Amino acid sequence: MPHSTDGGDHARSVVFAPIEPAGRAELVEQRLTDAIVSGMLRDGERLPSESELARSLGVALVTAREALEGMRNRGLVRTRRGRDGGSFVTYDRDAAGALARERLRRQSRVALRDLALIVSAVTGLAAELAADRASDDDIETLEAIHHSADLSSADSARRALGRFLFELAAVSQSPRLLHEEARLQAEAGPVLWLCLREEEYRERSSRVRADIIDAIRAVDPDGARTSMRGFIADALDWLLEEKARLDCIPDDGGEHEVDASTTADTAREGMENER
Amino acid sequence: MSAEATEAAHTVASRVSARIDRIFASVDEQGRAIAHWLAAHPSPSVAELDRVVGDLVIEHLQPTSLVTGAGFVVAPGLLRDAHWHLAWWLGGHTALRRLTTSDDPQSEDFRDYTALEWFRYPERTGSRHLTGPYVDYLCTDDYTITVTAPVMVAGRMAGVVGADALVDRLENALLPELRTMAGRATLVAASGRVLVSTDARVQPGSMLRIAGLGDALLPLRAAGSAAVDHLLPDGGRVVSCGATSLALVTET
Repeated sequence: MPHSTDGGDHARSVVFAPIEPAGRAELVEQRLTDAIVSGMLRDGERLPSESELARSLGVALVTAREALEGMRNRGLVRTRRGRDGGSFVTYDRDAAGALARERLRRQSRVALRDLALIVSAVTGLAAELAADRASDDDIETLEAIHHSADLSSADSARRALGRFLFELAAVSQSPRLLHEEARLQAEAGPVLWLCLREEEYRERSSRVRADIIDAIRAVDPDGARTSMRGFIADALDWLLEEKARLDCIPDDGGEHEVDASTTADTAREGMENER
Repeated sequence: MSAEATEAAHTVASRVSARIDRIFASVDEQGRAIAHWLAAHPSPSVAELDRVVGDLVIEHLQPTSLVTGAGFVVAPGLLRDAHWHLAWWLGGHTALRRLTTSDDPQSEDFRDYTALEWFRYPERTGSRHLTGPYVDYLCTDDYTITVTAPVMVAGRMAGVVGADALVDRLENALLPELRTMAGRATLVAASGRVLVSTDARVQPGSMLRIAGLGDALLPLRAAGSAAVDHLLPDGGRVVSCGATSLALVTET
């Protein structure tokens, strides 16, 4: 039975694969960059020291140093020497917008689909389990998050969505699912929720929260899962269209001329977000 | 239900309660000590509070103990140098460490703990409360029950004192007691959420959905110390476990 033998060999090779993949500095850099782009780490915020960073991420000191170096080169952090020294986030909304676009261009469609798929699997299951396992208090908590959501900017709408999805995973009663949700929010959130720049999608994110709460109240696991996965499918569709649009723009620095209207839109939105 | 079965249900309920009562007793004792200290030291600093609370709770966080986290969480405004603070230690099966949380309301990690059940209930009712089972993402990062009690100083709540116990350890400790019952025996919280069951198909964390159970648990939801002994329409029985707010549900 060649298939089962192959499967067994594959599983064995996974068991004995190196635990520490190459390119750890890039992984660290990507994670911190995502956190800055998404606004999770704020402008002027002091990052942990190189040694603290190395310890908390479980990487070598030299890896943490390399990642910080890369971020310094891209203008995302600034390092000051001396008593009050350290690395500080320099968050520039235009730079952050450009980074999110850059990541979207760099990632293939197949990678984006795969990212949306795992988010759909995890959050869909969280919604399904929550509908079966929520207590009255849990429903109250989810409603409080829903009602306090601020849809006025992309950042605030993303925070509200992240907070809701996190609580939904907590209500599922599975510590592992909650860990995975938190990890995915950090990895996929900055890209997948780019659609929240548009008001229509901010409204949709609010409607999907209301639908999921209704399904939970009705103990309707299928309904909760379907609503959740529908929203992720919409977010992915938006992302693929946005990518197609960005892919049409030449990558030779001529973007500003060709795409003057979009740049103006982004700047205007940035100003609105500040308010 | 026969007289023997009734007696067995009450025996098991009281054994479960004895286990949990030990956690309650140490929480109450720490609460009294903290109240006593705060009466003599109004508006202390974070460092002063941490020292006192640490000395009180660390001895209870032994590797063999059911308790895996313990401490005191301040009501905003108590401390002179921080608005929010959790003086909380984690231990038991892991190395002893103090919980670090974000006290900065602007931070994405910040959680307004006064809105969470383990703070909100003791504050509202003025009495001890058992939260969970729930995924405690703030402290243990695991599937947990938390016992909290208000600490009153000069007529005001200065904060809540409490302890965490992991559900998987409780399962190991309580399942042998439940297995002495004939038929299916399930321990649920006042919300109807399953803590542990003799039936492997009944998942911890799920809601036990049996006709009449919700109504039977209502007194426990109103006051955790309520006494419940209730026959269900399908022949099952709901018996409260002492003042723990947990209930034993037996089905034949």
